[in-house]
Amino acid sequence: MTGGQLLAEAARHLPAARCAAEEGTVTMDVPREDWLAALAFARDTAGCDFFDWLTAVDEQDKGLAVVVHLYSIEDRQHLLVRTLIPPEDPALPTATPLFRGAAWAERETHEMFGVVFDGHPDLAPLLLPEGFEGHPLRKDFPLAARAAQDWPGAREPGERATSARSRRRLVPPGVPEGWPPA
Amino acid sequence: MVAVDLPLPGRQGETEVAAVPVWVRVFDAGLACCAVEVSAALRRCASQLPGDAAVNVLVVAGTVTDKLAPLVLAAYRDLPGPRRVLSFGACSNSGGPYWDSYCVTKGADQLIPVDVYVPGCPPRPEALVHGLRLLLSAAGDRP
Amino acid sequence: MNEIDLDAGHLPPRSRGVIGLLEENCTVCMLCARECPDWCIYIESHKQTVPAPDSGRPRVRNVLDRFAIDFSLCMYCGICIEVCPYDALFWSPEFGYPETGIAGLTHERDRLRDWMQTVPPPPAHDPGAPPPREAQAAGPGADPAGQAG
Repeated sequence: MTGGQLLAEAARHLPAARCAAEEGTVTMDVPREDWLAALAFARDTAGCDFFDWLTAVDEQDKGLAVVVHLYSIEDRQHLLVRTLIPPEDPALPTATPLFRGAAWAERETHEMFGVVFDGHPDLAPLLLPEGFEGHPLRKDFPLAARAAQDWPGAREPGERATSARSRRRLVPPGVPEGWPPA
Repeated sequence: MVAVDLPLPGRQGETEVAAVPVWVRVFDAGLACCAVEVSAALRRCASQLPGDAAVNVLVVAGTVTDKLAPLVLAAYRDLPGPRRVLSFGACSNSGGPYWDSYCVTKGADQLIPVDVYVPGCPPRPEALVHGLRLLLSAAGDRP
Repeated sequence: MNEIDLDAGHLPPRSRGVIGLLEENCTVCMLCARECPDWCIYIESHKQTVPAPDSGRPRVRNVLDRFAIDFSLCMYCGICIEVCPYDALFWSPEFGYPETGIAGLTHERDRLRDWMQTVPPPPAHDPGAPPPREAQAAGPGADPAGQAG
């Protein structure tokens, strides 16, 4: 199925989906309730039966975007399926009944972003050590090490090491303004 | 982990020792990219020891993540004496480029006593030989 | 093992072994310390007023107190060398400098100057390449290869 045919079929099966095609990749944005239907359409109708990866993007005000990359080996067609979920209720049905390889990807997305995949057989942390608190890849998770360590580049040229912190200091890249709280 | 036996040319220094090869048994804890450089160095070494090894060396090569830290500790604990630790590469020296990560241990010396630090990202395979030589010249200072 | 070459002399040009500092070129602009992704360059300095020789306005210049690179953190990316506007930092292919204590991997000014002696000359341009900018700036009578005189 070519990209054009995929767009046409998607319009028929998933009327709520917004699709865009560019250079061998079709991106399909679906609402949360159509998530499993979209994945089933991709695998069974569009022929994208190779599961590549599943991850999330913290879009801050808009919510958390969960993205899946599927591929059709026969037609050489890439497909990105994306949905947006609110951060205060980050639940999504699991893709494991359709793609068993999504199991570990969903475990990682769960521990890094806090997305809860309903129906997942074992949503235990994959990469983070036991007792780790927080979801590191969310945008509001600051890199504590950068804020705690003195940045060697904070001093101006010619400024003495012992000068008082009277002027506004340069903030190192990666540390939000005003962090750590005084 | 791979145990390889590494013959080194005889030590040279102020007090010239007879050119007797010093045998070292190397245990490579290859955790990340530095493992490739250590493998490149150890490829050219013998795999059979003709005599007793002078010392067992645990080479920690690669990033030590918080999740893997207990295993590095266990590897050191299980290593029979006389034993030394060589930290290979920036990540196991101090956390390296990932020092600011949320899940990286800032250096293997946070867990186990390190005898020699080899800098590099990654160090050349020849740098491992430099590090092992320094280790042997300093090994007489400690039991 | 004897056929392993433990010297850096045979390495190709621009090999990244260690970084040397030419202090005379450093103006303490702090760009290297700011751009280093590992925060491993430590610079301390102060300002000094230099009276002008011919009753002109006195100048203020930066004086370097401390310049150290922590090679236990360094990932040898070369950003500091690329960003330095005054060519004060150079690559050297030397790689054999392990230490028994991690503090020994922080090289201070004197050690960074010693590394400058191991910095190889820059490789020659390809045949047919335009002449280097330093030769163009020197004027029409200059000899880019430095062979005359």
